[in-house]
Amino acid sequence: MASGPENALNALNALNALNALNALGSTNALAAGGGGSPLLSEALITSRDGIVGARIDPITTPVPGLPDSPQNLPRLSRTVRAAIVQADTVDIEGDETTATCWRKFSERDGRRRRVSFREMIQISGPQMDQLATQLDLVSGYARIRPDRGAEILSQVTPPTAFFGSIAFLDAARTPYTVELLNTALEFALPVIQRIKFALAVKRPVEFSPQVQPMIATPTHGSLPSGHATEAFLMARLLWKLLLKSDAPQYTDRAWWGTMLMRQASRIATNRTVAGVHFPMDSVAGAALGLTLADHVAAMCRGGAWSSGNFDAPLFDPTCDFDWHQLYDAEGDQLRPEATSDRGVWATFTQHDGPAEPPAPALHWLWHKAQAEWRDPSHGAQG
Amino acid sequence: MVKWIPNPDPAAADIIDHVAHFRLNLADHHHLSAPDQVWWSVLIALDGVSIDGFEALAQDYADDLMIPAAYDQADRALVLPRQPVTIFARARLIERMNRWGNGLGVVSVLLGASVPTRFLDPEAQPQDLPEIVVPEGTVVQAVVDDGIALAHDLFRRDATTTRIHHAHLFETEPLAGGHATLGRGLEAGQIDALLRECTIGGMLDEDLFYARSGQVDLAQDVFSTVAMRRSHGTHVMALAAGDPMPEARADRPIICAALPSRIVADTTGFDMVPVLYLAFHILVRQARRFRTEQGAFAPVVFNFSYGNTGGPHDGTQVFAEMFDRYFGPRAVSPAGRRQRAWLTLPAGNANLDRLHAVAPHGSNRPVRLDLAVLPDDRTPSHVQIWLPVAAPGAVPPDAQITVRAPGGTDSGTIPAHPGQHTALVNARGERIAWLACQFVGGETKRSLVTLSINPTANIETGADLAPAGLWNIEIERPPQCSDGAFHIWVLRDDTLPGQMPGARQAFFDNPGYKRFDRFGAPLPVDPKDSDCPVRRSGTLSGFACADSPVVVAAYTAHTAELSGYSAAGPLNPSRDRPQPQRQGPDLAARGDDSLVRRGVISAGSRSGSWVRLSGTSVAAPQVARLATEDIASFDGTARNWAVQAVEQDRFPLRGDPSVTRTGAGAVAGKPFRP
Repeated sequence: MASGPENALNALNALNALNALNALGSTNALAAGGGGSPLLSEALITSRDGIVGARIDPITTPVPGLPDSPQNLPRLSRTVRAAIVQADTVDIEGDETTATCWRKFSERDGRRRRVSFREMIQISGPQMDQLATQLDLVSGYARIRPDRGAEILSQVTPPTAFFGSIAFLDAARTPYTVELLNTALEFALPVIQRIKFALAVKRPVEFSPQVQPMIATPTHGSLPSGHATEAFLMARLLWKLLLKSDAPQYTDRAWWGTMLMRQASRIATNRTVAGVHFPMDSVAGAALGLTLADHVAAMCRGGAWSSGNFDAPLFDPTCDFDWHQLYDAEGDQLRPEATSDRGVWATFTQHDGPAEPPAPALHWLWHKAQAEWRDPSHGAQG
Repeated sequence: MVKWIPNPDPAAADIIDHVAHFRLNLADHHHLSAPDQVWWSVLIALDGVSIDGFEALAQDYADDLMIPAAYDQADRALVLPRQPVTIFARARLIERMNRWGNGLGVVSVLLGASVPTRFLDPEAQPQDLPEIVVPEGTVVQAVVDDGIALAHDLFRRDATTTRIHHAHLFETEPLAGGHATLGRGLEAGQIDALLRECTIGGMLDEDLFYARSGQVDLAQDVFSTVAMRRSHGTHVMALAAGDPMPEARADRPIICAALPSRIVADTTGFDMVPVLYLAFHILVRQARRFRTEQGAFAPVVFNFSYGNTGGPHDGTQVFAEMFDRYFGPRAVSPAGRRQRAWLTLPAGNANLDRLHAVAPHGSNRPVRLDLAVLPDDRTPSHVQIWLPVAAPGAVPPDAQITVRAPGGTDSGTIPAHPGQHTALVNARGERIAWLACQFVGGETKRSLVTLSINPTANIETGADLAPAGLWNIEIERPPQCSDGAFHIWVLRDDTLPGQMPGARQAFFDNPGYKRFDRFGAPLPVDPKDSDCPVRRSGTLSGFACADSPVVVAAYTAHTAELSGYSAAGPLNPSRDRPQPQRQGPDLAARGDDSLVRRGVISAGSRSGSWVRLSGTSVAAPQVARLATEDIASFDGTARNWAVQAVEQDRFPLRGDPSVTRTGAGAVAGKPFRP
């Protein structure tokens, strides 16, 4: 009966997942890193197409996870447990609903050292009905899995290549920038895992048998999204380097900065497409990653840092993730607040305060990295 | 155990369209909701009664009827012979309309697709469409397609100014206080406002744009292929009318309509023609707004990159007639003035699809067809058997049609007389196939036998499934009634991978059909010595059989050959015209760069992106673009122009393809490039 667009099926031959599979097949390395298999993901997509059926509605909502509880530990992978244990060295605490990441300040006081902590990021966990609502978006995004398959599998591991396609990253050309980004990621991992552990937010797959993610669901909690945190952390750190490079193109509006944020946003959204994250996880992850970027930069250079608050219950769960609500690449500024009909769901404050000395090792690394983005000039020593 | 029951429904002789009847009467679980609550798009023909008159006659069914707001007061008052009108209706009314002697003035019924209620706005009001004064030399470009990325830079004049004057988005939820009964219409000002709203830091966030335009709302299951890298409508519209922003011309306004994507989970099958017809009506009204300073209509070039199989293939089908109804000699136009309008259509891509067979004139053996119905087909499959026209006063053509299901020993036979029917039922007594004959009136004046087969799979229930496998269809013609050939079509029934509801295409799998030459290449024409009833010839899209549109075949540039899939004539004679008005397409344009680089490059769904698509549907809009340059000045018909276009810029093809495949030949044109 169908009267269709002429040759749309041919078109789809080119766009369907088999081609993505071919593309991936030629890059075996992609599969190796994340443990993902292009063939398996393709099979998970087509198998879901075959059996998913019309949306089941409503499904009984699961009970909330047990926040900040060692009882969750046996369900986590060993690497995740290691990251959580490591995080005991950073100061993060969780109560029933909120995880707080503290920033450490210390000063010499005669023969003693006085240490104080200030709240850097506070994340309140979502309510179960919010997540159940967000499941509609997760289901909707599943439609574009064949389109995003190659990206999703390639982004299981850190997406350096995706940022390198915007800012000229290369192991030979910008080794210190790559090192700086990796250092920041190493630092971020325990923070992410500790907050996830504190909030114990369940994954989409526990809300419906129809999600059927195209990659394995990681064992750790859903919110905040680690991919979103890492992607926005990397994007903003890179943008800070570009902004300070004195290269004229990088300070023309925020073309590079915006494109880096778009890339980060796409990486975050791809995790929802894959079926392993709610869009709210990306919101929380972006808030965390963007805040940590200021923290890392302050550690490297001294000076201003930012604190933020993501109050998930006040986020409108019918809304998708939109990074513009949190951050303005022009001026490299976190937005003071983001609101919904429910209230103010995110706030950010920049703390200029008295200049703090940078951490010496990071300071050294930052300057090496920064130099990689400056144009060579006549007369300067190479 | 399945068995055939002859003439089970005493009232079946009164059914106008058996396919509509079959689909409406599928078991409840195939429908989106309770079957009597489902809204459908329906293309009806009203004879001797206006839309207003029909509405008055159907007042007992007022709750089951929505007349689109696109029909204004003047449209609603018109009384024309067999006037096609798209309506939205529910089963109670459709069943009534689908009976001869319905008393509503309805003489034909074509059931379209079910429409989720949330996409309908019963409160929509007709819109005033003031004239738009445009400079001399303006040519309007009109595109109907699906998945059109409105915000693409190729359709903009600058960062926040669109070239699109009107976009009708059938695939969106309506806006309150709007003028669209299905979907929403966006005017240029609204598109510009969205562009400004979604431009942040000097860069347009296109994901945000399509969320705000209503095209993509994933939480609400509103989906358009603009969410993906490749979208048919974006690609096609860029080929027809796209220009880089610095080269955008003020005298090339665009109007467009985006048809719905198929994502609803009903398994009753669908037909896009009713909404296509409505889309055309909407764009015709929009096109008439464009007047030059002297008050003359600006010319308009339409492109519809859509095709279908089926239909009488003699130029009389309701869609084939459409363009002539609006722009032909009998068109009713405001103030008696005519707007110059051309239409480009793809020839279709069914040449190698084995969807067409012929029981030729003079055959004294029964013609047997093996219809492969695939497993895991979630929607019904339909076959049309078109009888020849009878010359006035001659003995009407006759035949016995016999169908045997896979593995079945029992067969069902009907004489090809209107009203005859037989049902195949399973052991539980559920109907799983329906073979019936109806008479198609109007200018067509032919008998049509339809075979409708239930889905072969359903994930909800195993009930009422038809068996997958080879279905035999046998056509036996009495020797004394041998005038003209029977044409048999499998209707197109396929969904794109990943889209619901998972239709799979049935096709003829006759053993005598030779697919490849001795080197293993697909044979693009029927071998001369073959007596196989399954044919490549006559595969031209059912939409492309009208007199006036420019019908475009596709060629592969590198090998300078007609592309194998490009569908071909000839057409059938109609009762009033023993000589068809065309032999096939009018000309060929580039459908593929090479066998390896399939398709041609045009716009992807996001600004600045480029993708390939192949087929006659990408050839047609390239001809539309050429036509835009000439329509104002050319002295002759669009089809005459097509001949001249080839003569002026011929692309020589190898192998001397026949006129039924290429028409006047291939036009070189300039490839559209980033």
